[in-house]
Amino acid sequence: MAVVAAGALALAGCTSDTSTPDDTTTAGQGETGGTDNETATDDGESTEGAGEETSTAKVDLGDVVTNDDTISFSTGSEQYNAYNGDTSATNSTYNATVNAQVNSGFWYWGTDGTVYPNEWFGTYEKTSDDPLTVEYTISDEAVWSDGTPITANDYLLSWASTNPEVLGGADALGFDPVSDMSTYVQDTPEAEVDGKTFTLTYADPNPDWEIMVSGALPAHVAAEQSGLEPGELAQAILDGDTETVAKVSEFWNTGWVFNDYQIEDDSIVPSSGPYTLEGAVWEKDLSLGLVPNEEFWGTPPATGNLVFKFAAPETHVQALQNGDINVIEPQATVDTVDQIKNMGDTVALQTGNEMTWEHLDFNFAEGSVFSEDEGGLAAREAFAMCVPRQQIVQNLIQPINPEAEVMNLREVFPFQTEKYNEVLSAAYDGRYDEVDIEGAKAKLEEAGVETPVDVRIGYSAPNQRRTDEVTTIKSSCDEAGFNIIDAGDPTFFESGGPLEVGDWEVALFAWAGSGQIASGRPIYSTDGTQNFGGYSNDEVDEAWKTLSTSLDPEVQLEQTKIIEKLLWDTLYGIPVFAHPGVVGYDASIENVRHTAVQTGVSWNAEQWVRAQ
Amino acid sequence: MLQFILRRIGISALVLLLGSALMFFATINAGDPLFDLRESRATNRDQLIAARIELMHLDMPWWQRYLTWLAGAGKCLVLQCDLGTSRDGANINSLLLSSAGASLRLVSLSVALAIVIGILLGVLSAIRQYSGFDYSITFLAFLFFSLPVFWAAVLLKEFGAYRFNNWIADPVLSTTAMAVIALIFALVVAAVLGGGLKREAITFVVTFAVVFGAVTVFDRVQWWRQPALGLPIIVLGGLAALAFFLVLTVGLSERRILYSGLGTVAAGVVAYFVTAPLVENPSGWGTILLLALVAAAVGAAIGWFFGGFEKKIAMFVCSGTALAFAFLVFMDQLLRNWGSFLQVAARPISTIGDARIPYAKLDGNFYIFIYNWGVQLILPTIVLTLISIAGYSRYTRSSMLETINQDYIRTARSKGLSDRVVYSKHALRNALIPITTIVAFDFANLLGGAVVTETVFGWKGLGDMFKTGLDFVDPGPVMAYYVVAGTAAVFMNMIADIAYAFLDPRIRR
Repeated sequence: MAVVAAGALALAGCTSDTSTPDDTTTAGQGETGGTDNETATDDGESTEGAGEETSTAKVDLGDVVTNDDTISFSTGSEQYNAYNGDTSATNSTYNATVNAQVNSGFWYWGTDGTVYPNEWFGTYEKTSDDPLTVEYTISDEAVWSDGTPITANDYLLSWASTNPEVLGGADALGFDPVSDMSTYVQDTPEAEVDGKTFTLTYADPNPDWEIMVSGALPAHVAAEQSGLEPGELAQAILDGDTETVAKVSEFWNTGWVFNDYQIEDDSIVPSSGPYTLEGAVWEKDLSLGLVPNEEFWGTPPATGNLVFKFAAPETHVQALQNGDINVIEPQATVDTVDQIKNMGDTVALQTGNEMTWEHLDFNFAEGSVFSEDEGGLAAREAFAMCVPRQQIVQNLIQPINPEAEVMNLREVFPFQTEKYNEVLSAAYDGRYDEVDIEGAKAKLEEAGVETPVDVRIGYSAPNQRRTDEVTTIKSSCDEAGFNIIDAGDPTFFESGGPLEVGDWEVALFAWAGSGQIASGRPIYSTDGTQNFGGYSNDEVDEAWKTLSTSLDPEVQLEQTKIIEKLLWDTLYGIPVFAHPGVVGYDASIENVRHTAVQTGVSWNAEQWVRAQ
Repeated sequence: MLQFILRRIGISALVLLLGSALMFFATINAGDPLFDLRESRATNRDQLIAARIELMHLDMPWWQRYLTWLAGAGKCLVLQCDLGTSRDGANINSLLLSSAGASLRLVSLSVALAIVIGILLGVLSAIRQYSGFDYSITFLAFLFFSLPVFWAAVLLKEFGAYRFNNWIADPVLSTTAMAVIALIFALVVAAVLGGGLKREAITFVVTFAVVFGAVTVFDRVQWWRQPALGLPIIVLGGLAALAFFLVLTVGLSERRILYSGLGTVAAGVVAYFVTAPLVENPSGWGTILLLALVAAAVGAAIGWFFGGFEKKIAMFVCSGTALAFAFLVFMDQLLRNWGSFLQVAARPISTIGDARIPYAKLDGNFYIFIYNWGVQLILPTIVLTLISIAGYSRYTRSSMLETINQDYIRTARSKGLSDRVVYSKHALRNALIPITTIVAFDFANLLGGAVVTETVFGWKGLGDMFKTGLDFVDPGPVMAYYVVAGTAAVFMNMIADIAYAFLDPRIRR
């Protein structure tokens, strides 16, 4: 006992007196202090149901006063490194995610891929169909955060940076762009230096004209950094003065790239979005914290500090639980969904569809059982009849996204409900909804091929989900007289790999939708660059041609119906499902919404706000 | 000797060169660098693919790509490295600098800790061979050695970060928890001190009572949120350090040295009050280092003046005690700032990153900044340390056992030397010779092998660079990793060989 007493005596003087526990609690809350919650209650409620029956556009938050709270988000461990994400070296999701917050434009993607105009930024209007002419007007209030108005100058540089032939092309100009806008808009845009309007004239009709132009980079910065007057550059572009324009390309290619992960001169990165990089807190390897753009003329951001953390995806779930990252978009697996569900009330979960879809494509090349010379259509039909699509979705996808369904179209996603239902009723009668083993046997007999038929399903391994899909298909189709072979291969897509060589009867992979109307053409038309199976159908080619040269949404819709129906009737391949997506977030944050579009959950990050 | 070293360097360079070719070849064949673009439906897909082929030289044959890289990396010999650019255009030179910095910070501490703890455990279990303690250490060593790092790290984040953060918000210990803590302490102390069954039982009971009492008091006074050591504990600690150094050198019977040691502790108490303003708000590490030097010097001076005829030993003991005392004073001040840090960061330990709060946003004194990176170092260091402790303790144990059974140890015993002198002076020093090899190895190993730990804890170290490079089939970062990790491995190996030759004259033939 004496020892205990001595110990207690020694310990008596051993507590520091810096604070009382009470102080600490209030201090903790103090971090989130700030503003009244001015979110309109109706909108607040409507977002609760996460995507059900709500508009796919951003909600109207009314008047927003920026608070001084902090919300963090992570896309992965790759670091932001370029303010100009339009060069071939810097075009990446992690740059795009950040740049979307500091660079706004004429429109944005809704959660289902619908294009919504940003009316506060400006307006655009198609003024002629032949030739396709679009007139853009930038809002008079629109200014860069350094005070310079956003003008046609900026869009002239955007156009010039795609190396247009009228300015001498890539060799003379030296820009390194990912955009190929100047192959569509071949003539110099009509504009005036420092003007607020500009007009683009397309060489050919382009159904995707609406998404060709959105934001632009600050031309005045590029000009000044290259030793030109701001107006001089715009004038040179209008005049076709190749030599002067070419002076800018070096800065455009490299000046906005931050390979040391710090911005030495804030003045070269003005913002046209709700947040800005000027005064941002960039801790190399750790995080990038954006701050509000004080000059922003649109609805201000709801939260004062938007922090992008550079953390590997496998750390995200625990980081969310511990509050280190507040919004995550983890890999959509059953494990992550369960983990997030088990975290209790402080963490919320949203699941939904992505604009990426899984499909089984037939090989039409010589030697394949599905080519016209061998099994032909009957063999393809037999395969389509035995593939248990419903079972695949039920077992592999619904545990992640309970609302997932079998996808029956290729160019429209199930979550684009109205259009999907309309095209579906015209194109597909549900004939492959149920597995029909007997029917498949009969079709194989009709095809006149010797059973069992070896079918190699090729995909890029390792991919557990695809391995499971092949196993499911095997257990069903083997009964119908196929012999399914799992031909998963790490080199599947590589040059010289199985896909190119043709060592497959069925290819299992996914296309990431781009939101463009005519981007499917190279996949389904004869000799298309992405038509790996060698499918060829004159009617389909014709329909794609009509579609991609039409500017009338009605005509586009009609052609889509024709294409989808033909692809089902002749069986190009079988769509299976849209990939599931998962968003986990701190339950106290409002307005976090999963989007199917590849912009990711941060598409409306400027609206995220912690409930008070 | 010179010929030996030169030959070693020549062989090492050759190994590095061949290894780099192998590594390069393996990396560029590890997957498809265009994978993400192949499923893309962007209209400019072909252009994107062409741009990447151009950027990564995918159109060249592998040996040409390798030679291009080697030409740049070869310039390292004249200190003008050009390791190229990564897939997204980042300069790998600067990437490597920061990555290697992060890795070094992480690895140095855990190597140091692992060496000290590992050797200590190894020596103890060798001395107490076939005791319960020995068996427990053996069991734990194998357990930790075979621990899957990924799993352990994730568990540690769950308990060390998430649950700890929840607990620290309102820290209360249940009586059961206190009893368990006291029980564990009591078992460990009883096992280490050993002796007969009766002595062990007494140690057990006393330790249990002390620890239980201490934890109860800690709990009562809200020590977990506002900790401190206070002068009494600092003095106790100083005395313990004195005892440790005495046992290591001359034993408690040497009165002069004992008294000069006690004098050092007394001087420390005076210094505690004199330097208080400096320690409370130091301007930086310079001040702290300076204070440590002063402490060591004062200790040495006391030893010099009062050490009598054993001046050297007295100086060693006194400056060691003074440093330990100074360290405790520093720790006391650090603990006192824990409460302020909790105000800045309500959930103190983050699961990712090497700093809790971005430095640009951090506002606080010197100690708050230490906490900011210190708390983030704790969990990954535990993981790395646990793994290498296992190795060290096993090697030390067997090496020590072998030495103890040597003839000269028997001779030492038979001429009447005490256990203390035999173990610390005759056995330990010789037993440590083979350990040098392992230390060198281990450092290089950890530097390159912390891939998983870094990934799980979100550190952007060498491991992360390696992993990202491999994921993107981008040889640049992977080869930069190889340059550092490979060189470290080969270089450390060489150092170990040379050190070995120096330490053990029998090797040098």
